[in-house]
Amino acid sequence: MRRSSRTALMVTAILSLGLSAPAAAAEPLDIQAYLNEIDDMWRGTSSKASITMHVKTAHYERKMKMKAWSKGKEKSLIRIMKPLKEKGTVTLKSGDDIYTYLPKTDRTIRLSSGMMMGSWMGSHFTNDDLVKESRLLDDYRAHKAAERTVEGRHVIDIQLTPKEDAAVVWGKIVTSFDTDRRVPLRHTYYDEDGAVVRTMTFSNFETVQKKLRPLTMRIVPAEEPEEFTEIIYNSLSFGEQIKDSFFSLGRLKRR
Amino acid sequence: MKAWHIGVRSIGRNRRRTFVTTAAMAFGGAIMIFYATLVSGFMDTLERNALLMETGDLQVHAPGYRRDPDLYKTIKAPAAIVAELESIGLKAAPRLYGFGLAAAGASSAGVQIRGVQVNRERQVTRLHSHVKQGQWLDPSVPSEVVLGRKLAKTLHVAVGDEVVVVSQASDGATANELYTVRGVLGSVGDGLDRAGFFVTEAAFRQLLVVPEGAHEIAAIRIDRGVDLGAVTQAAVQRTEGLDTQNWRELQPLLAQMMDTTYAGQSFMLIITYLAVAMVVLNATLMSVFERIREFGVMKALGVPPWGVAQVVFFEVMTQGLIAMSLAIAAGYGVSKYFEVHGMDMSSMTSGASMMGIAFDPIWYTRVTLAGVLVPAVSLLLVVLLAAIYPGVKAAVISPAEAMHHV
Repeated sequence: MRRSSRTALMVTAILSLGLSAPAAAAEPLDIQAYLNEIDDMWRGTSSKASITMHVKTAHYERKMKMKAWSKGKEKSLIRIMKPLKEKGTVTLKSGDDIYTYLPKTDRTIRLSSGMMMGSWMGSHFTNDDLVKESRLLDDYRAHKAAERTVEGRHVIDIQLTPKEDAAVVWGKIVTSFDTDRRVPLRHTYYDEDGAVVRTMTFSNFETVQKKLRPLTMRIVPAEEPEEFTEIIYNSLSFGEQIKDSFFSLGRLKRR
Repeated sequence: MKAWHIGVRSIGRNRRRTFVTTAAMAFGGAIMIFYATLVSGFMDTLERNALLMETGDLQVHAPGYRRDPDLYKTIKAPAAIVAELESIGLKAAPRLYGFGLAAAGASSAGVQIRGVQVNRERQVTRLHSHVKQGQWLDPSVPSEVVLGRKLAKTLHVAVGDEVVVVSQASDGATANELYTVRGVLGSVGDGLDRAGFFVTEAAFRQLLVVPEGAHEIAAIRIDRGVDLGAVTQAAVQRTEGLDTQNWRELQPLLAQMMDTTYAGQSFMLIITYLAVAMVVLNATLMSVFERIREFGVMKALGVPPWGVAQVVFFEVMTQGLIAMSLAIAAGYGVSKYFEVHGMDMSSMTSGASMMGIAFDPIWYTRVTLAGVLVPAVSLLLVVLLAAIYPGVKAAVISPAEAMHHV
């Protein structure tokens, strides 16, 4: 009895493997290319940026200035420049870990998994958003859900559904991509019940490093349409030489 | 000759049977007394850990806070509400709650930051007397905090160590502060043990930028004999526009469990005494049949049926009284012993908590007047009930029939 049920399990496992393997590779090449372009829109192999963040909630409104560096998809570092009260606060992402350096208490803290869904710097971004800045194709299966013409440009909706083993919090993401200008227009995030959780819209398209890129992102939670977090890239450059040691814990407080 | 005289004398007729029957009654009674005191002790622990450590008798929240707690849903004028509650025989304490991350060395853990008014909290809960290491909060030292037991373990900190806490203040800014551990609590319940991070009211307000208001007001009856439902009603009337509930509504599972345990106790009593009643019925019936000639002669001599029944009743009642005395002596003695020494159940219970309430694996009984008298008196009643059938049987016997048995 036990053996036969185990065999049945194995058969099921092999069957599902056989079915899912070709499905995983089934994304058409153009969609893969679009998703890779989105991933590289603000980072590339390495990047350096100066950012303004504007947060508005029912309870407060705040503007922050920060500087950000990234290298590959594993390492990034964000340092708060303004307001004065939080100046020097550093968020370091290294692999799946997030560390915060707090100048007031002169401590570096690794965020526990329980804090991942918490707000980052009082914004509508979660700490998890920072960690999950990995490549979309690693975690999601993609297919074209719709296509239309907006203002004379060809736009497609790419639906991203998480792979079974991907540790992601969204039920699905729908990305609207302008294939003529090759820029993302909007990400819509859904929960597991299919309800919209938040929308991220892209605007302020400018050519940086020979490519058109959106320099403003605005995130609006579905439940609180009056609230938003807006991120504006004041400057953005790619291909800077940054040493790995720049992203080490020991360096956090010295900057 | 008096009926009771014959009855009492008959007890000696078959000593072995009398001994076995009386012993069965006494044993049943003693067990039930012990069981009742054990349940009382168990309930005491539950109540102490669940209510007197944390929940209190009733709580007041801003509307919607319980469903979706956040820093902004506060009771606007907590002092006035506290005064209202104290005018109806309660002691009340306002509390502040926030969430954050505590870290020490390389360890970190999510915590519930609890801002307490130390002097008021002392009158509502017994947390201050439940500090295992170090001391409870002192309002004059806002830089010192008290942690839950498991939290201290997770962070690897002891009294005197530093711990940093990070959170988001009400103005959206990053709140962070360095504190010194002043005390570590004993086990209270899963939530408090794992995430309880107690700070003084002043420290909380400064850290999270909450200059006024409170997230919760917990209150407790000064006189625990006062009816909970009535007090709740009065409190609801005095806290209009707020969400006021008593612990039975706040912790329905616990309330239900306590009710079920009491119902279970009655059920146990019924089952045990049913068995005792059957033993008594059987023994008495046998005794009546053995003496059928005697009863026949009595009736022939003109003793009325009631007189014959009395003989049987007195016989059973005497045994019942002896059994009751033995049961009280044994049950009380054993219960009293375990009230002081406790029973180590650690080998039989897996965890140290039950429904999130910390539980000491050493069980103590609690001897109360009702705990001893209810099982004892019920025993006597049950025994007498069991004697009705044999008594009637003996009473209605016809002399001619009885003589026939010669």
